[in-house]
Formats: sequence, structure tokens, C-alpha cells
Amino acid sequence: MDPATRLLALQNPDGGWGYRGGNSWTEPTACALLALEDQPQAAGAAARARAWLQRLQRPDGGWAPHPAVEQSTWVTALVVLLGMDADRQGRAIQWLLERTGEDTTLLNRVRRLLLGIRSEYSQEPPAWPWFPGTAAWVPPTAMSVLALRKVHKQQPDSRLQQRIEQARQFLFTRMCQDGGWNHGSSRALGFQIGSYPETTGLALLALHGVEQARLARSLALAERYLQECRSQEGLSWLQLGLLAHGRRPAAPEGIPERNPLETALRMLAAKAAGGRNVFLE
Amino acid sequence: MALLKRRHWIAGSLAALTGCSRDPRAEPSAVSIARAAHYDGQLFDLIRRLLIEQGLDVRGKRVVLKPNLVEFDPGTTINTHPLVVHAALEAFRSLGAAEVRIAEGPGHRRNTLELAEAAGYFKTIPNFEGLFTDLNLDDISPVRLAKPFARLESLYLPKTALGCDLLVSLPKMKTHHWVAATLSMKNLFGLVPGSVYGWPKNILHWAGIHQCIADLHTLFPRAFAIVDGITGMEGNGPIQGTPKFAGVIVAGRDPVAVDATCCRIMRIDPERVHYLQLAARRGGLSEAAARQTGEPIASVQVPFELIPQFRTLRLGPG
Repeated sequence: MDPATRLLALQNPDGGWGYRGGNSWTEPTACALLALEDQPQAAGAAARARAWLQRLQRPDGGWAPHPAVEQSTWVTALVVLLGMDADRQGRAIQWLLERTGEDTTLLNRVRRLLLGIRSEYSQEPPAWPWFPGTAAWVPPTAMSVLALRKVHKQQPDSRLQQRIEQARQFLFTRMCQDGGWNHGSSRALGFQIGSYPETTGLALLALHGVEQARLARSLALAERYLQECRSQEGLSWLQLGLLAHGRRPAAPEGIPERNPLETALRMLAAKAAGGRNVFLE
Repeated sequence: MALLKRRHWIAGSLAALTGCSRDPRAEPSAVSIARAAHYDGQLFDLIRRLLIEQGLDVRGKRVVLKPNLVEFDPGTTINTHPLVVHAALEAFRSLGAAEVRIAEGPGHRRNTLELAEAAGYFKTIPNFEGLFTDLNLDDISPVRLAKPFARLESLYLPKTALGCDLLVSLPKMKTHHWVAATLSMKNLFGLVPGSVYGWPKNILHWAGIHQCIADLHTLFPRAFAIVDGITGMEGNGPIQGTPKFAGVIVAGRDPVAVDATCCRIMRIDPERVHYLQLAARRGGLSEAAARQTGEPIASVQVPFELIPQFRTLRLGPG
């Protein structure tokens, strides 16, 4: 069975996809839609998925990760990547622009200064949290960069450009000593912390267009991770990240897809290898 | 965080129905300490004996084992040893549990199964993937916190944990660079789903780590605890510390009492660990508040190295 057929078979009756069966969630649904939308046999399924996502937009313009969650979160960036109608898209972009990590708000900078709390990072440009009211981290920041870049390419806007540049600076400040990225904590209490394959791939994807010399170590590490990684999710992000920098990565065979999200990411990586990287269009 | 609609609430009292034990505050909580020198096949008999000693009746119950899986580094001892998890699984099965699942939601890595494979869970536990639920990706229900210690009025929590009859916290005995010690109560951070809050579960840090530990304990007050204290971690835990042999398994029905006992074994004063102070408001944390069985604390005490900011928590000579 080809990946598209496998993915279609896992769609819920409400139009969405779950992480591992069960209720529909925004993240696997958005990724499945990104993977399926140009597949002729998936037209009906894609329309149902899009309708499910549209129903889930919250009054503040953002998306919650799950229908039961009453809070817009980082998944808004994933939906922006899909492109919605002008009104929905505009409100979603505004929601993204109004979010920063709590650690970089003026209030928290002043609080840290007054309390003498020292940060691990001397430069802390604004970036994105997973969940409002918390600190910024690498994956939601990388995904927001990809979303805003896509919008900016279609409709150049200086506000978007500024946030993209700041977020890319943030990614460089959170780079681990080995050249890769983890969730966003490259140091703690003076100790260096190592990177992970999946976050390294995602950060490289978000740094598409950055001069190769600045990323030489990161790309070499990603190529090594590609041979060692045992998860399809990790492999897909590594392939997407390497392809974004002109590498032609050959991933090991036989790594199982364990859920719809992994199937969708594998399809997106294959599509990028074929010349169409939907994250960078 | 937005208040939840009433129809969505699962009252904290629902969680209190989970577990199979009596009110842990009605009498001194029994805490069992057993020596275990190695990770080997004898752990099954040892854990089974502890469960019987604790009078745990799990016949027909749905049991969820919650180990501590954080990161994998072959040079150290971050995670609950897979042989401890396997021994507990078989012990609960042998005592008549209807279903025993293993569930965890790591705080840093999204690829839980890759982490579990690296940590030896696939190799050690037959049909591990079939028995395992990734709590980061589980279906969720909103739960209201009636009188929270932290600045959160509600949390979304995984249905696998909310719906079981007995939640068994299976942590590694470790020092922790934010809260001094991470044991059965702190281990419940792994219940908070990354799919909602992200990786790490940073909302718990912003709301107050100690307070959130106490709040999660309030939601699962009768979780059973089995602490892997054979080789723990000292110093800059929970990830970058140094392996420390303590040679014990500690178990009990009252996570506060179990964690206080583990602190004493590590020569940390539990009465100065803030989350234990919060959780034990009524029961107290003195040694007399728990009824120790098996090895006396003094006979297994081994000082775990503490990072400078926690050296004031060192328990004085007994």
C-alpha cells in the first residue's frame, strides 16, 4: 500500500487525523493535508480535513492543538503553512505576530534584572513558545519561521521580515556545541547539552537560505544523524533540512512509520526530494 | 490559562477514585525498603513480595506503570532501568491485574519509542510496543484543579492515566537541579502531554515546579510508588549527574511518604524539600509519619552529592 493510501485509510470520520488513532488533532491533520493536497485521489479527504481545521479556528485567530483545548498554540503556524482564506489567514498571522516567548517580554527582562537572575544566553531575540505564557523553544520557532516566510514570499511585509530575522538569530543562539539543535536548551548550569536528530533537521529547514559556511558543522551532523536515526519522524525532518541546503540525503530503509504524522512527514520528505518542498514554497 | 467549561471538567475527585488503597493519611503510611544489589531476574520476586507486603489488591484492575524516561546516554543512569519495569509488569500480572500497561510522556524528546529502544525497553520487555502508550500523544481530558498550589486552574491530562484503576509511579532515585530530588511525585510530570504543552512541559516551570508537583500529586493521591534506587544519580541530575549506587527498591502506597523516605536514604532532609512540604501539609514529613518495613533507613543510607544550592538540605547525622 502506498503512503497516500495508508494515510487516507487512517482519516477519522470528522475529517481529521489522530496521533495514533483516536481523536483528531491539529498537528497530524495539518501535516496530512500538506502531504495529500496535491494528490488527485485525495481531493475529497483533503476538503474534509480543511473543513475540520477551519471549524477549529479560535476567535483570537489561532488554532488549538485539539478541539478540547481552549487555548491557541504553536500549531497555528502549521495551519498558516497550509494557507487559508484571506480573513482566516490574516487573523492567524496576526496571532503569530503577537506571540513571543514569555522569557523575552519586557516585564520578564525587568524582573530578571531586578532579581539578579542570570540567563544562559546573552542574546535573546524574540521567538515562539509552544504554549502562550511560556518560554520560546526551537521547534515552535522553526515552524513559525517557515510559516511567516511562506506568507512573506507571497506578500512582503517588514513586520514578518523582522520576526523571521529575529527568530533565526534565536535559532543560532540555541545551537548546541555539536552544531545541532535540541528542544532549545543548549546549556544548563554551565553544562553543554547535546542535540537531537529531529530538531536538528527542523532547525536546518527553517534556516534555508542561510550561507552554507555558517552551517557546515550542522549539515555534517545531520548527515551523520541520518544514518543513525531510528525514527521516521526524525529521518523525515533530517531529509527536509538537508534538502533545503542542497544536499541529496539517502535515508536508511526499513524504518517503520508508527503513526499518521510519520506517514505524512515521510511523504513530505519524498516530495521535497522530488523537487517540491512545501515548507519552502 | 482559560477557565474550562463546566461540562468539560473532570473533577479532581475523579482522579482520587483511582488507586486501590485506603486513605494514606488515616494512619502512618507503610513504606517498604528492600535491598537489591543488581539488575537481574530476582527483581520479580522482590517487587512481588513488596506488593504483597503493602497489601495491594490488584485483582481485575487496570494498572498503568509510569517509568521515568528522559534522555538516553549510555554513560549514565538517567532512566528507570527496564528490568525494574519488566519485573513490576510481571509482578502485577502475577497478582491478578486484568491489564498492565506501560506509559510515559518524556519531557524533551518527541520520539518516545526511539528513546525507549535506546534505553533497552524493547530488548528487555517482550511486546513492549504493544504494551506501551505514549502519554505525549494520548487522547486527553481537561481536569480542574480545585485548590491549586500553582498558577494553573486546570490541566489537560491523558485518558490512559485518568482512566486506570492504579497508577504506579516507577521513578529513578535522582537528585534534581531545580527541586533537589526527583522521585515518584516529580515523575508525574511525564503525565502532562507534550501534544498540548510542548517539549519541554515548560508551563509547569512557569507555574511553579514545586507547586505543580504538589498539584499533580493532588490529582493522583493514591498512585503507588516503586522507586528504582539500585543505581541512582547524584550531583547535577536529572540528566547530567553521576551514577550513584544505593542498592535499594523503595515502595509504598503513599508517594509523599515514599519520597520522604528516599530523601532520607539520599541524606536529603525531606522537611526542607518544598514540594514535599506542600504535599504533606496535614500528614507531616517526620520519620515517624511513615511506618518503615524491611531494611531500616539507617542501614541503607548513602549520601547523594548535592549541587551547591542544595547543600543546605543535607540531612544531619541520624
